Amino acid sequence: MSRSWKRTPLSAVGAVGAVTALTVLTACGGGDGNTAAPGADGKPVAITFWGWAKGTKEVVDAFNASHTDIKVKFEEIPSGNAGGYAKISNAVKAGNAPDLVSIEYPMLPEFVSQGSVQDIGPLFGDDLKKKFLPQAVELTTLGGKNWAVPFDAAPQAFYYRKDLFEKYGVQVPATWAEFRAAAEKVKKADAKARIGTFFPDDPTTFQAMAWQAGAQWFKAEGDTWKVNTADAATTKVSAYWQQLLDDDLVRNNASFSPEWTNSLKSGGTVGYLGAAWGAGVLKGTLPEQNGKWAVAPMPTWDGRAASGMLGGSTFAVPKNSRKAAAAVEFATWMTTTEAGIKARIASGTSSAFPAAAELRPAAKKAFDAGYFGGQDIYRVFEDAGKSITPNWAWGPSTGTTNSVIKDRFGKVTGGGATIADAVRAGHDATVAELKKRGLKVEG
Amino acid sequence: MTTTKAGPRPGAPARGPGGRTGPPSPGTRLRFRPRSRVTGAAVLLLAPFFVLFVLVMVVPIGYAVWLSLFSEQQSGLGFGGTETVFSGLGNYTAALGDPAFREGFVVLLGYCALYIPLMIGGALALALLLDSALARARRFFQLALFLPHAVPGIIAALIWVYLYTPQLSPVVEAMEAGGIGFDFFSPSGALPSVVNIALWEWLGYNMVIFYAALQAVDRSVLEAATVDGAGAWRTAFSIKVPLIRASVVMVALFTVIGSLQLFTEPLILNKGTGSAVTSTWTPNMYAYTAAFERNDYGLAAAASVLLALTAALLSFVVTKLSGGRGRKKTERNEATA
Amino acid sequence: MSTAVTPDPAGPAGATNTANATAVTPVSPTAPPGAAGRWLSRTAVNGALVLATLYMLFPLVWLLTAATKDAGGLLAGNAFSFEGFDLGRNLSDLASHGDGVYFRWYANSLLYAGVGAVLSSLVSVAAGYAFDKYAFRGKEKLFSTVLLGVLVPTTALALPMYLLASEVGLVNTYWAVLLPVLVHPFGVYLSRVFSAGYIPNEALEAARIDGAGELRVFVSIGLPMVMPGFVTVFLFQFTAIWNNFFLPLVMLSDQKLFPLSLGLYAWNSNAHAEPTYLPMVVTGSLLAVVPLIVAFVSLQRHWKAGLTAGSVK
Repeated sequence: MSRSWKRTPLSAVGAVGAVTALTVLTACGGGDGNTAAPGADGKPVAITFWGWAKGTKEVVDAFNASHTDIKVKFEEIPSGNAGGYAKISNAVKAGNAPDLVSIEYPMLPEFVSQGSVQDIGPLFGDDLKKKFLPQAVELTTLGGKNWAVPFDAAPQAFYYRKDLFEKYGVQVPATWAEFRAAAEKVKKADAKARIGTFFPDDPTTFQAMAWQAGAQWFKAEGDTWKVNTADAATTKVSAYWQQLLDDDLVRNNASFSPEWTNSLKSGGTVGYLGAAWGAGVLKGTLPEQNGKWAVAPMPTWDGRAASGMLGGSTFAVPKNSRKAAAAVEFATWMTTTEAGIKARIASGTSSAFPAAAELRPAAKKAFDAGYFGGQDIYRVFEDAGKSITPNWAWGPSTGTTNSVIKDRFGKVTGGGATIADAVRAGHDATVAELKKRGLKVEG
Repeated sequence: MTTTKAGPRPGAPARGPGGRTGPPSPGTRLRFRPRSRVTGAAVLLLAPFFVLFVLVMVVPIGYAVWLSLFSEQQSGLGFGGTETVFSGLGNYTAALGDPAFREGFVVLLGYCALYIPLMIGGALALALLLDSALARARRFFQLALFLPHAVPGIIAALIWVYLYTPQLSPVVEAMEAGGIGFDFFSPSGALPSVVNIALWEWLGYNMVIFYAALQAVDRSVLEAATVDGAGAWRTAFSIKVPLIRASVVMVALFTVIGSLQLFTEPLILNKGTGSAVTSTWTPNMYAYTAAFERNDYGLAAAASVLLALTAALLSFVVTKLSGGRGRKKTERNEATA
Repeated sequence: MSTAVTPDPAGPAGATNTANATAVTPVSPTAPPGAAGRWLSRTAVNGALVLATLYMLFPLVWLLTAATKDAGGLLAGNAFSFEGFDLGRNLSDLASHGDGVYFRWYANSLLYAGVGAVLSSLVSVAAGYAFDKYAFRGKEKLFSTVLLGVLVPTTALALPMYLLASEVGLVNTYWAVLLPVLVHPFGVYLSRVFSAGYIPNEALEAARIDGAGELRVFVSIGLPMVMPGFVTVFLFQFTAIWNNFFLPLVMLSDQKLFPLSLGLYAWNSNAHAEPTYLPMVVTGSLLAVVPLIVAFVSLQRHWKAGLTAGSVK
């Protein structure tokens, strides 16, 4: 760091972390970056961007090639749960965060409540907002302010090996009851094969299932958080997955671990319950299985279309950045322009389903669906996107909630614990955490 | 060989850490020079170390204690920023009240109970084997057994995670072929998995320490024992081991301290393997998670302070348990002989 | 000091052997009866050592074969085969990925460990020398403070250090990693032992009589004489810094400042979503291990000396 530092008295807004146990560190000599127009002095504004989503490098290259007022420097960081989030909050506290970061919906409230990102409301007007899926805007609006530009909606989707399903005579399941039957059939046909995987390292997959079933873990009423993870929907989902695990009908592997990838390569895993972005990941991870995969809507409980959202990225501006205007301009370009979405998807590794509805035809056109035998996968996402169950909200302590659930999920193997135990532990830790922060909480 | 000139000389100071805890005897050896000059030189030579020592050890501990007394408070739904307030021992009660933190100490206890006997026993056994008259190619064995210590902990962990992964690992495959189905990532496999990595990294290192101490044992004592009719086993266990007791105590002490620092290996197991090793598996990991995943620095500081206190307490207990002092002096002379 | 650890085949051990074989057999029930028994126990002893050696070496052999594989080969199992042999490509990937950031990490590690260990050894040797050669009030008390420092778990300190460093703006700089590693209390302890062993007081006295100042005595007489000990302290500290992970993990967020350990960790995290990182992690690990193995093989005398001196305690 070559910047100089000065101490300013603690301010209520943007105070974060232990640095502020005494003071807030602020950079010297900065004007109000939010109002400074990019390139006002004739030189391009240089911004730094941290992310990990597929195709990001290509998007940045395309942006830099077509813009002279802003230059973006992209630094790839590990995905959020694999350490990316820790890296971002670490950098924010140390005062060397970039100007734009990728944050998934579940974690955004955590970053907002820590004061790590800035309110981009003034730069994110109504004409911009109405371009996006309303649920996505809702998830990025907290306490009446806008904190991030939503990028993709991530409706759930079920990927399966068409060739093996046919070989084993398995029908694509439309309901969870059928899914279980299909799981049994797969295992019967090949004792080593499983229809899908329980990801102990990724609570958000489970949460998306609960969301799909109609659960609502967090509700804000007045200034009180109501936390409820013991509702009928969550209980149903936990019991269902517990049974699948107990009967050894699904794998229990960390997502994208070598072990899991190996099982996909060897045909030991013939299905993947993921989200829209998963199509690109499969394609990138298993190039040799070209043409063998297909996409179906997520199985549902009652046969009527329903979906949760699994992951999905937003772009937020860390609090220390003095180049918010340029950062938001770049984020807007990535999320609302055809050129932006094309560049990403043409990379061949991204199958992002844009939250901005008008970009979907462009996305569909840019995606080479050959991997899926030419299937119109964006049609599947489109329908799933429409069926996203409303009203789910993420709490302000996802870091705590999900790290506790993840830890307990890790013990679900070998009968050490149950999924329900894990959810319960996550619940208790969440309530304790919110109380510790001085918030009003019921649950 | 350097030993000849490093051998004990008349007047060579026979002392070492803890060797003399009595009052210092100022000026015994330098009495004929002006005190100020001596003190000046000593201060100059000691200053760099102690300035840094204070900067990177004393001040951070103090700062941690200070930080641990504050916590971040929010209002409303928590989206209006945070405010730092004095919370007294609040972070300590929060840490101690968190089952995950307490479990960390239970894990640590289990880890020590499994790891320390295996480590000390294993290293001692290997050293005795190497020291026994029957061993061949000692130099080779010593080097080969020591080599894993040259592998950074993070790389050791990465290697072993592969060797634990079903379908990828030749070890798991061999075990399955032998009818042993053991899941290194399961709850019951977590502890052994981590213990094994740590053993692999440190066994040879400690073995060399023991072997060095054994080599320093006065051979006439051993010869006397054999003449008296003691067998190889008896010589090993009732003569050799007691003679290197000081080394055993030291290794035990460092092993305990090392155990408290446990971080890298379980972290690698925690990240992305789906292993039952949790993100708060050890108190150290708890502090890390509190700081970087939960953004609660007060809690992290409190956890660090509690860990440091535990370390101090344990070191104290181990040194007390190891007892006597005179023995150290003999050991020292043997080692420099 | 190193005599003690360099077994002389004709030395005391050999003598014990003969004594054991001739005198003990009839008396002790545990002693091997006769030549066949002796052969058996010789086999048992060496067999046990060979087993232990296999345990120690096979993960390294795995690393060696794995480093030659591409991602597909790595994920296919068959660890010790050369399936998917692609070492050349792995190496060129290592060199080119992220504009050659791997070798930047390599250089960083050399910088942190090299500079850090030289400075830290100087600081330690100076302090150890002072503790050994001077008498002053409160010396032993001060020395126990140093020993207390040996006992403080460094990882418990890393976090507070990070908090402090972020307060003063040092986080994410070379200093953040370099400064803390300069303090090596165990090095001071070793240096004191070495100073006592290698530097005869008479030599210092002679220099003093010639009128040399105290610092001059240290630099021109003490330091050269204690050099073998210096190398030992250096080697230990070099290893410790090279292997350091927790401190860089909390202190650094800029890839360009990463040491190897942290860089490989970051790549390994990326590998979860992107298997193409796997071969780079494995091949990168192999290259990262090489300097230390070379150092330990070529400097055997020195680390053994350090461990012997350590056992003195």
